[in-house]
Amino acid sequence: MARKFFFFSEMGYNAYPLEALEQYGYSALLFPNSIFDPDKARDLWQMFLREHEYASEMGFDGSVCNEHHNNVLSMQESVNISAAVISQRIKGTIALIGNPLPIHDNPVRVAEEIAMLDLISGGRIISGFVRGTGIEQLSTNANPAYNRERFEEAFALIKKTWTVPGPFRWEGKHYHLRVVNPWQLPLQKPHPPIWAAGILSPETIRWAARQRITYLVLGSALDATATCRDIYHEAAKEDGWAPTPEHLGYLIHTCVLDTDEEAYEMGRHHYGGASVIGRSGGVAASALTAGTGSAGATGGGPHPEWMAPPGYMSKQAKTGNMARERRMSEGSYDAATRAGLIVTGSPKTIIQKFKHIIDRTDPGYLTFWAREGKKPHEATMRGIELLGTEVIPALQEHQSALVTGKEVTPWPQ
Amino acid sequence: MVHGELGVPGWLESFAHLAEHHDMIVPSLPGFGRSTRPDWIMGIHDLAAWVTWFARDVDLRTPMNVIGCSLGGWVAAEIATVAPQFFNKMVLVGAMGIKPERGEIFDYFLEGGLTGLRRAFHRPEQSSEFMRYWGKEWTAEEADIVEQHREMTCRIAWKPYMHSLTLRHLLPGVVTPTLLVWGREDAIAPLECGELYQRSIPRSRLAVIENCGHMPEMEKPAEFTKLVENFLAA
Repeated sequence: MARKFFFFSEMGYNAYPLEALEQYGYSALLFPNSIFDPDKARDLWQMFLREHEYASEMGFDGSVCNEHHNNVLSMQESVNISAAVISQRIKGTIALIGNPLPIHDNPVRVAEEIAMLDLISGGRIISGFVRGTGIEQLSTNANPAYNRERFEEAFALIKKTWTVPGPFRWEGKHYHLRVVNPWQLPLQKPHPPIWAAGILSPETIRWAARQRITYLVLGSALDATATCRDIYHEAAKEDGWAPTPEHLGYLIHTCVLDTDEEAYEMGRHHYGGASVIGRSGGVAASALTAGTGSAGATGGGPHPEWMAPPGYMSKQAKTGNMARERRMSEGSYDAATRAGLIVTGSPKTIIQKFKHIIDRTDPGYLTFWAREGKKPHEATMRGIELLGTEVIPALQEHQSALVTGKEVTPWPQ
Repeated sequence: MVHGELGVPGWLESFAHLAEHHDMIVPSLPGFGRSTRPDWIMGIHDLAAWVTWFARDVDLRTPMNVIGCSLGGWVAAEIATVAPQFFNKMVLVGAMGIKPERGEIFDYFLEGGLTGLRRAFHRPEQSSEFMRYWGKEWTAEEADIVEQHREMTCRIAWKPYMHSLTLRHLLPGVVTPTLLVWGREDAIAPLECGELYQRSIPRSRLAVIENCGHMPEMEKPAEFTKLVENFLAA
């Protein structure tokens, strides 16, 4: 399979006043929704959907949508609704990254909605399943102590719903359904491709490898991503099989403009870290920085317990190597760009950087997180145009050094 | 003694006082302290059953006296609703289990562990017990235990949060003479919960300790012990 290039945006409510952030110190969970202005949200939706449409026009292979709750970070409080709308605006694949399974008390509903999406789109859906962040658990009252159990049971139930003829009964530990017999089943057989996505949890990576499904690394720095790939490959080897590049997806903050300098400055919109206010799993920024994005925002700040409610994160995930790598990438904007957390440049620079990234990680799916925060629409559209018309064509034939054995393309200085 | 969601950090002063005249037994509930955590335990009734198994296993004579603190008070109350022969007298201290009508039970899970512990005391810095067990910077092991207790509490009391929808209807059937002890300044389980307990249990009395938070057994050991001793002796 040729490498695929997708477009992603969180479609965040970036119209919040920064003074409110200064006042509360966080922008998620308890950030009062009286601050939300529906008129602004309506206009943002139209802009964001146009950006997805333009990416399709410019040659991207597909679009990616996501889900968050109680968070300015993303207005997508239903990934299935986002996907439904986008599927009617673009030609290519729609990847959901994805449905947070533990927050649902009826996983069959999730199976039904994805089946509808797959039928209506003509079989263009990739179905990602995630655990959801701590904030998703708290905002939907899903017990964090059972997060992993609920995820695994819901996953099994959804797969069964798609692949085993109904009616059947499911009396599990967390889910109880007396008649599973939906009259919407996916077009793709045996079911749409399933992805797992994560922010550096080793258990999830190993679980994905045992399920032999694609693992999408969500916006981590380059070294951390290479580590994810290694963990996946090790787990696959223990399980007796060899992954292909299609088993790895990489979602990466990308800002391309005509010159390196312009792109570097505009890239600050992707950055949400190093604020004295801190980051509580949502977008938080001081008025002192232009950063309004999510890169580097992994849950520090005044309420780290919101990102890691009791039982949600294993001790290994909290304190292991990957936690260290996560913290290392939470430095300044400059540190974030050097760690490959945010990749900026002119098309020529971006092409070289992504050749380096492909050389080191060989992701079958490369998703450009090319719109974030308060980045202006014009700059976003220019970036999409440059990615679609110059960068993607240049990268399409590039084979990873992991495959060819050649030297890794150097990172431009 | 059936402890609560914050666990038992050590042999408290009030335990030592009570132990002068009584056999004082304080088991760590499953998932707390060094007790193992069976994965099948999902609710308050499971803990209630476990307490009765524990009593059998260590040959405690029934009926026995019980002091239940906070979540442990809810456990004790549940036992009393189904096993009237089990307890002689029951002391419930800042007990969970009933949803207040006016106020709210403090949500531990929207805050960090230290915030919850501090809030459980009216004046944490003035409590020698708080300072001894939680007042200094925590070691990694101490931090782990706090998280362990929070996780176990999630398994039991996540939703409906810290209360039973039916306990209030079962309590009028409790025949055990009951002393309810509450700190007036309880910022975790409001005093109102104590009043609701008292109205629901026929043979019950509510004693309020002034200048005291959610953990009278730690914050006001002398007053607490006196109240309990007088009640048990009566």
